[in-house]
Amino acid sequence: MILSLMAQQSEQLDGIFQALADPTRRAVLGRLGRGPASISDLAKPFDMALPSFMKHIHFLEGSGLIQTRKEGRVRTCAIDKQRFATIEAWLNDQRALWEGRTDRLEQFVLKTQDKETPK
Amino acid sequence: MNFMLNPDTDLTISRVIKAPRARVWSAWADARSFEQWWIPEPARCKVVDMELRAGGAFQTLMSENGGEFGPHLNACFLDVVEGERIVFTNALTGGWRPAAQPFMTAIITLADHPDGTEYLAQVMHKDNADRNMHAEMGFYDGWGTVIEQLAKRMEAGA
Repeated sequence: MILSLMAQQSEQLDGIFQALADPTRRAVLGRLGRGPASISDLAKPFDMALPSFMKHIHFLEGSGLIQTRKEGRVRTCAIDKQRFATIEAWLNDQRALWEGRTDRLEQFVLKTQDKETPK
Repeated sequence: MNFMLNPDTDLTISRVIKAPRARVWSAWADARSFEQWWIPEPARCKVVDMELRAGGAFQTLMSENGGEFGPHLNACFLDVVEGERIVFTNALTGGWRPAAQPFMTAIITLADHPDGTEYLAQVMHKDNADRNMHAEMGFYDGWGTVIEQLAKRMEAGA
């Protein structure tokens, strides 16, 4: 109930802020700060049913603070917040640069084409 | 050619341009045409070298606000198939000479499309702090809201 309420709020509020506002999730992030871990390892310290714990994991994943990957039966979680943020911003810059070039190439081609084929 | 794109460091731009492939090719391969779109106004681009063959030099200069021309891109073509493909990297300069600060390889592909030409730019980046330099270059390239607005206007007018 509380979790679903939080999930709704997160749609309106900053997901990262929300993710950090919960002690379980902060503990998970703290653990992942030391390196990737499986869901079962992460869940061990908490007296919590797995479905409830998974909601925290999904919340963290949804906020972009962690990423999960399944290999066989084991789902592994990892955090690399700073790197992730840096890479994303940097790559977005490169994307914008190449999008811009492509926009201008397209415009140039269409413009010169119009000139040479009178209507 | 098969190669893997790494989502952390690489990007793909795909666009259908409503013009014949030969025309898109000449906009790229003709230096005077290339200068007119590679860098956004008011900055200006000057092509120093565009030797369209493997090992050929690819060098451009840039002038901001009518000032002196300074370095922009100093690269080497790796593969050129007329009308179809241009591959260049700034890991090398003309004549295969190793470059001081490599960070990217770009693969430009042109293919026929029912509506004109399918233009594909795949760009692979080096994964390290040299990025800052490219980010700076991106900044000077002046991409941003102007281009976005331009693109939107074109789409709206089409």
